[in-house]
Amino acid sequence: MTLRMTRRNVLAGGAAVLSYSMLASSALSQEKRLRVLWWGSQSRADRTNKVNQLFQSENPGVAINGEFLGWTDYWPRLATQVAGRNAPDIIQMDYRYIVEYARRGALAPLNDYLGSVLKVEDFDKVQIEGGSVDGKLYGVSLGANSAAMMVNVVAFEEAGVELPTSSTTWEDMARIGAEITKAGKRKGFYGLADGSGVEPLFENWLRQRGKALFTAEGKIAYDANDAAEWFAMWAAMREAKACVPPDIQALDQFNIETSPLSLGKAATSYAHSNQLVGYQAINKDKLTMRTHPLIGKDAKPGHYRKPSMFFSVSAQTKDPEFGAKYINFFVKDPKAAAILGVERGVPESAAVREALAPTLDELGRAALEYVSGLGALAGDLPPPPPSGAGEAELALRSVAEQVGFGQLDAKQGGETLVNEATQILSRG
Amino acid sequence: MAAVQDSAIAVGAGAKGRPAARGRLADLWTKHGAGYMFLLPWLVGFFGLTLGPAVASLYLSFTNFDLIRSPEWVGAANYVRIATADPKFAASLQVTFLYVVLSVPFKLGFALLVAILLDRGVRGLTVYRAIFYLPSLLGGSVAIAVLWRQLFAGDGLINSLLAQFGIEGPSWISHPDYSIWTLVVLSVWQFGSPMIIFLAGLRQIPTDMYEAASLDGASKFRQFYKITLPLLTPVIFFNAVVQTIEAFKAFTPAFIISGGTGGPINSTLFYTLYLYQEAFGNFRMGYASALAWILVLIIGLFTAFSFLTSRYWVHYDD
Repeated sequence: MTLRMTRRNVLAGGAAVLSYSMLASSALSQEKRLRVLWWGSQSRADRTNKVNQLFQSENPGVAINGEFLGWTDYWPRLATQVAGRNAPDIIQMDYRYIVEYARRGALAPLNDYLGSVLKVEDFDKVQIEGGSVDGKLYGVSLGANSAAMMVNVVAFEEAGVELPTSSTTWEDMARIGAEITKAGKRKGFYGLADGSGVEPLFENWLRQRGKALFTAEGKIAYDANDAAEWFAMWAAMREAKACVPPDIQALDQFNIETSPLSLGKAATSYAHSNQLVGYQAINKDKLTMRTHPLIGKDAKPGHYRKPSMFFSVSAQTKDPEFGAKYINFFVKDPKAAAILGVERGVPESAAVREALAPTLDELGRAALEYVSGLGALAGDLPPPPPSGAGEAELALRSVAEQVGFGQLDAKQGGETLVNEATQILSRG
Repeated sequence: MAAVQDSAIAVGAGAKGRPAARGRLADLWTKHGAGYMFLLPWLVGFFGLTLGPAVASLYLSFTNFDLIRSPEWVGAANYVRIATADPKFAASLQVTFLYVVLSVPFKLGFALLVAILLDRGVRGLTVYRAIFYLPSLLGGSVAIAVLWRQLFAGDGLINSLLAQFGIEGPSWISHPDYSIWTLVVLSVWQFGSPMIIFLAGLRQIPTDMYEAASLDGASKFRQFYKITLPLLTPVIFFNAVVQTIEAFKAFTPAFIISGGTGGPINSTLFYTLYLYQEAFGNFRMGYASALAWILVLIIGLFTAFSFLTSRYWVHYDD
């Protein structure tokens, strides 16, 4: 069998290819492409992709390319893409990094679109300020959350211990933890996770003492005595077996999957309120969340409402206005809100919150109630962390481990932490 | 067939007979063009992906570069900080040296042992060779490191086995006293590639030497010590140099097992992991480039030292 190709065949084929490619290119030129990059779990990705499809169907000729990574892989990828002039149009941004990215000119200011494309008038003022750097808006908050203690309800019931409340003190908590461990209902199971290296928990404790992690000028806002007391408190917990031993705690890579709670090693973990959804997704036991313990009976809690994450528009995007339109859809459209729920935190828009409330499941309602219930308890939003804050967080973790494994005592730990953090921040 | 061949020769002769009217360059092209075309993928790779970035990183090592703003020239400041004010540099170097010193001898020893066993004419040798080589192929991969994490975690397989004997093991990967050892064991487990090379080396040793030795009444151990080892020294030398360089560059296992932190307490902070943290965690590309060049220098010194000492213990049979 031979394939014969006449001149006519070739010409016709060529013409077909040509017309097809012209069609395709004209379709391409009509199409607006928007690349969106975020970090998070699979369940967040599913929700986000659904919203993107919705946006596409309401805006014909628009193609959204979504991409997601875990937290630790996310920042290297983003930095490389920005450096390679290949930044995504829409960037999920964290409170920790927004100042760095904005000051280095990687983000587009959104002030021009406020009121026209970006209708965020009913947002909490504080949260708008949280997304602003040097007086310009660089990030639209996707939701509010707050530090929270995740609690395994079943494990507490098994041990016959009452769940903590908003007036539980750290002293109570040490006793409760030891009781759960002593009850011994599960193999290798402890009352509490070791929170000595968990920065948001340390911050909460410092705020109760009227201190903070960082000053507005980017210096550290606590001293060696504060840190030493903190480490001493946890050393006592380890001693009393109220919390997990250090080699168990060191398995925690500070994500939902490897926390002592999810690993089945402890009845608590320290996280953020929007993460309850993710925690419950991979834990069989029923979970709930509580505010962090108090330093004393009459202490004021150290919580605050924090923008869980932002959407920013890249300075490299071709059409920042369209980016703003996409973000507006994401935070204001009721259908989008119904899909997103409170997985990224409690929506900032009052209208969206009201529309959303009746549609939420139990977990979603718990998150909503937790954050709105903080009400008067919540303090001011601290200034955005200075550059070097990420490194300082690693230093806290490392020093906490050194104390945990007995290489330093609590007093030395306090001095080491303050020295290292000061050095890191001075380097910037 | 004959006719075809004849005509081909005729065409060739015609081409050769043509006067050299074209330029020298074109002439070179006809002579070597095909060769360069075949080399092209490698040339592009070498200049575009190896030499180019290397030169760029040398430049960047004298700058502050945060990936977003353009690099800012700071002279030798990065190198000065490495030398005088960076405890983590010292810590990571210490961890890396420990890893090299532990993993390379163990790995080579184990590889040699297995190679000798396989050399004794095992049935189904090719199958064993393939099986033993497999971990080396998989070794650098993330999946294996994740598997390792599972095996050595507090309630992993290793501790379940120990529990059979009534021993309560710690969480090996997250205890600063043991974590480096799990990485060493992982490295030894990937003995396949030096093993294959040892096996080839063993096959090169003439059997009549052993025959002569056993006629003279030399024990197996003596034969190994007096014949096998000396004749194998070139292969041992090659494996040692290659594996040392590999060990200095190790990254993936530590990255996965510590979740990128190098913890607990910097006990798995390999040099390359620290370099990665500085580059992509703290966005100090210039400083990370300087660290990279220090590593090049260290590996270079080590290799040069190996070559210098090799003349005293490596025997080339000629």
